[in-house]
Amino acid sequence: MIIMQTEVIDHIKFGILRSDDAKRLSVVKLTVPDTYNEDGYPIDGGLLDQRMGVIDPGLICKTCGARAKSCPGHFGRIELVRPVIHSEFSKIIYMILQSTCRVCHRLMLSDEHIAEYRSVLPKLEESVEGDLEPQGAESEKGFSGSAAMLKRLKNMKKCERCKASKGKFKFSAPTYFYVDDYKLKPDEIRDLLSKISNEDLAVLGIDGAVSRPEWVILSVLLVPPVNVRPSITLESGERSEDDLTHKLVDIMRINLRLDQNLNAGAPQIIIDDLWELLQYHVTTYFNNETASIPPARHRSGRALKTLAQRLKGKEGRFRYNLSGKRVNYSARTVISVDPNIDLDEVGVPIDIASKLTVPFYVTLWNLEKAKELLARTEYPMVINVISKDGKRKRVIDTNREELLKGLQVGDILERQLMDGDITLFNRQPSLHRVSIMSHKAKVLVGKTFRMNYCVTAPYNADFDGDEMNLHVPQSLESQSEARNLMSPQFQIFSPRDGDVIISNNEDGITGMYLLTKDDSYLTKEQAVYLLSIAGIYELPKASKGDLYKGRDVFSMLLPKDLDFDGVSGKAPFVIRKGRLVEGVVTKDTYGRGNNRLMVKIGKDFGYEELKRFIFTTAKVADAFVTLMGVTVGVREYTTSKRLEEERVKILEDTFRKINKLIDDYRNRKLEPLIGYTLRQSLERMIIAELNIVRDKAGETLLKYETEENAAVEMTRSGSRGSTLNIEQMTMFLGQQATLSGGRIKRGYYTNRVLPHIVPGDIAPGARGFVATCYYSGLAPKDLFMHAVGSRSSEVYKALLTARSGYLYRRLSNALQDFYVTDDYSVRDTNNNMIETVYGGDIINPVYTQFEKMDKES
Amino acid sequence: MFMARDKVDKKYAVEYGEPVGIIAAQSVGEPGTQMILRSFHLAGIESTISTSGLPRIIELVDAKKKPSTPITYIYLDERIGKSFDRAQEVLKKVNEVRMSNIAKRVLENFSKGKIKVILDVQELQSENLTARQVASRIEKELGKVDATVEEGGIIINMHTKNLKDIRAASIKIMKALVSGVDGAGKATIRKDDRTGEFYLVSGGSNIEGVMAVDGVDKERTTTNDVFAIYRLFGIEAARNALGNELKRTLKEQKISVEDRHLFLIADAMTASGTIKGVGRHGLSGEKKSVFARAAYEETLKHLIHAAAYGEVDPMKGVTENILVGKQIPIGTGSVKLAIKKEDLAKIKPKDAKKE
Repeated sequence: MIIMQTEVIDHIKFGILRSDDAKRLSVVKLTVPDTYNEDGYPIDGGLLDQRMGVIDPGLICKTCGARAKSCPGHFGRIELVRPVIHSEFSKIIYMILQSTCRVCHRLMLSDEHIAEYRSVLPKLEESVEGDLEPQGAESEKGFSGSAAMLKRLKNMKKCERCKASKGKFKFSAPTYFYVDDYKLKPDEIRDLLSKISNEDLAVLGIDGAVSRPEWVILSVLLVPPVNVRPSITLESGERSEDDLTHKLVDIMRINLRLDQNLNAGAPQIIIDDLWELLQYHVTTYFNNETASIPPARHRSGRALKTLAQRLKGKEGRFRYNLSGKRVNYSARTVISVDPNIDLDEVGVPIDIASKLTVPFYVTLWNLEKAKELLARTEYPMVINVISKDGKRKRVIDTNREELLKGLQVGDILERQLMDGDITLFNRQPSLHRVSIMSHKAKVLVGKTFRMNYCVTAPYNADFDGDEMNLHVPQSLESQSEARNLMSPQFQIFSPRDGDVIISNNEDGITGMYLLTKDDSYLTKEQAVYLLSIAGIYELPKASKGDLYKGRDVFSMLLPKDLDFDGVSGKAPFVIRKGRLVEGVVTKDTYGRGNNRLMVKIGKDFGYEELKRFIFTTAKVADAFVTLMGVTVGVREYTTSKRLEEERVKILEDTFRKINKLIDDYRNRKLEPLIGYTLRQSLERMIIAELNIVRDKAGETLLKYETEENAAVEMTRSGSRGSTLNIEQMTMFLGQQATLSGGRIKRGYYTNRVLPHIVPGDIAPGARGFVATCYYSGLAPKDLFMHAVGSRSSEVYKALLTARSGYLYRRLSNALQDFYVTDDYSVRDTNNNMIETVYGGDIINPVYTQFEKMDKES
Repeated sequence: MFMARDKVDKKYAVEYGEPVGIIAAQSVGEPGTQMILRSFHLAGIESTISTSGLPRIIELVDAKKKPSTPITYIYLDERIGKSFDRAQEVLKKVNEVRMSNIAKRVLENFSKGKIKVILDVQELQSENLTARQVASRIEKELGKVDATVEEGGIIINMHTKNLKDIRAASIKIMKALVSGVDGAGKATIRKDDRTGEFYLVSGGSNIEGVMAVDGVDKERTTTNDVFAIYRLFGIEAARNALGNELKRTLKEQKISVEDRHLFLIADAMTASGTIKGVGRHGLSGEKKSVFARAAYEETLKHLIHAAAYGEVDPMKGVTENILVGKQIPIGTGSVKLAIKKEDLAKIKPKDAKKE
């Protein structure tokens, strides 16, 4: 079977529907402004006429004879007794009326002038302020009604051809046109528009062949099929019609009344009133948010959702249904950890695996296997059989034999998801490409998706209840692409800066850190246990009696022949011939900044090896942490007596310095910073001083805390927590900031933040410096200060997520068409060149760190 | 600077069809969410008070005509930069001082046809000006008037009692430039801690005017106002300025993004020869495809326009192909099969049993 796309949408041309075409397109002329009769049966010639299709599952469409499911729906029409203007086109009508002569019906410019505009394609002007862009839509002919020409036409008083005066045109939204204070009726406008030649329209940029301007004056209104505006039956048995149907009923009612009045020879004023009412209804039928007219409302007072509202905005047809589509073959559930699952695997619950299907293409070569599969009655079994002609049949116990007999080459079996099938795994918000990666399915018991914690970083996932989505690619091409491009091992390096995104973290780092410390020795049992976890069945040389050095055990996980020089903290980190000679593993040695162990392995040994390295080290580290036991308790954050003394000393020191600054300022002895006033200088100096004290506290903390403190060890290894975290728990919180980034200063009009403070005080404590810590508890005043800071950052966060989301949407929309062509230039899909050489060096951003490493060596 | 295909080290080269635009957008968009959480940092001594972080990125990418906090870094000629006093002299020439900065009040005496300007002595001193200088400046500004310095201020004899003229003059006086460069903004001296050199920082962006001042190093003087650079140096310079500003802003937030992404954005914004924003009035609003524009923003406007003018959607971009359910023409979708439709019919599947 060859699946191949042979017919392709090449381009789409837009135009306006003519009334004649509307007549031809429709299957029924609607005459009755109602929906159902007393028996609850659709009225013939009413708005739910069965010739326009059916929505009740039992009924048959009177036009095509199909049932609701397969009937595409057919258009009906309302023939308006008086024409009305399509209000959305008003501005364009106005533009055309202003540009053409009412007497000779030509464009008011003479041929010479037109030629002038035609020849002088808008040039780029020198000034930035002016409009540098060629304005107006580009027509097929490559000439557009330029802004300058339109402006000139607008201001012309006389026709250049027949010298007739233009008259005073006025347009009043949405559909009123006046000339010399006479209100033009729609049919009069139509007459004017229809006399303009296609050539003249072309000058304005309009393609007369598909969109004659007079066609926007409607005398036939196309009524969408019933399945576009389905009515729903409420629980009470009451029928509720779609907003569009309501609006169409309104239009038909007025149309009928206008017809009756015309036939009865009613006075002109009544006719005009009804005509205008008809215009109003048609206008709101197209767009119920038309400016300067009140929106049509439902009985309940809710504004009706008419055609324009269906298309518009985030929940409109375009963004909700067309740019983003709902899909089959997908699943969603909670995620949880499993360090035994490889980076490129995902644990799929059996319940989900038995619902999701993968196509199995039956060929001559696998016919036997296909039959075997189809015969199965439990778990990896076939759910559907899609026969050659595209009919899908569900496999049930009663028809299995029959299907088995009829199975032939070209059929497709839909079998349940099995181990090793490729799936796409995704977590929202999908902010970058690694938010969707391919994982091989691993069917497991349980109800959650299981994943390795090393791949949480690209998804920005954690296991506090996060849910993720799983998709099963169906075509062979997509499966192949998923396998060969989207697998996590290909995504270890970020295209953003070439740095590592998928890496070991958390306990994986803590374990490696503890394992590779200088005094880390393992017994034989321990070493064997750890290495067996990594699937390694040989031991390194014992180094201290029958004890094994932690580093030697770690070295077994490294690729053979790896040579690497880096730093670990301030000490060197050296690997020779696949053996860690010196140094302790921390998060930084793994791959951050200038320590590119991961880059080195990836570059010299490939992605598969790198993946294996991350996976095995994480697994071994976990086992080691379990073996050793690492606990973080309150003890870790308890203030010791020594530390408390140190804290008081540091703070006293700083406060003394700041008090001196303030004294100097008051006595005008302070030397101002260049470029700042005295007051600003003081503020900046105080802030600088408060920044210093925080760093100093961090240093003291590390100095006084021993290796017994697990929290500090975690910080040192880089696996979790920072000195700031510990510092805030055991020493003091430090300065609380506000939105502006400065110290807190507002609050009371007496120039103080809280009523406990002397007005005008600018000492640290009075302006949001919190000298107490979480462990010993915040002082009442400090609690308020802390709340100010917290609230401030919460508000800030809310404001900026919205802003950054919109920024991303705009950026991706503007840049999405760019790609690298085969001459390494960047072009958009219309072949406009954006860059001559991508990035100046054509280097794939994923490999920037590789390239840097190459250059350095 | 085209690169011949075979001359390139292909080891790390991008592949054909790589959607570099999307990658660039994601590289800037994704850390945008991280920028938020950094409200904790406190300004150090050196950083200037200017728009930074996400608001600044948005401002740049929107191609705003004026930055909300224009800043010009005015570097001085080598010898001048060494000495504080000489730098001060240049500062005086650059620093924009208007009457409203140094005048406390302006009193109009309509019956006598006179205007009295009361000067703020302290401000006057700090700007190193004398009342006499100010008075002559006013005379120059207004033309046929006499300005005399008196106790506490300057009396201006208008030689007319026309109310309108006097009021107009007093408004003109308040706006008048007393010293410095028009549009240069308030300038201050800074010292580069590394080199010990003095330079000026001003809160305006008239680099054209500033560069005309003697002693200013034209090569190094720069501004954060991209449009000012565009006006003076042209589009290529603007492209560099735009890229560098993006780079600087992200670096300030400690977000590492490869330069190529930032400069791709800058290139996209400047490829047409003028600076265009990325939003609905810029790149996105000028796409060829009707559907792409309709799916982005202002759906109705674009559809109506397309219908009225008989526009054609070439169906070449990403969005429009997603809309109709076709494969997108970039990345792996940019590869096409080079075989004619007619020839396809000739292909007969081989009998498997023969093999």
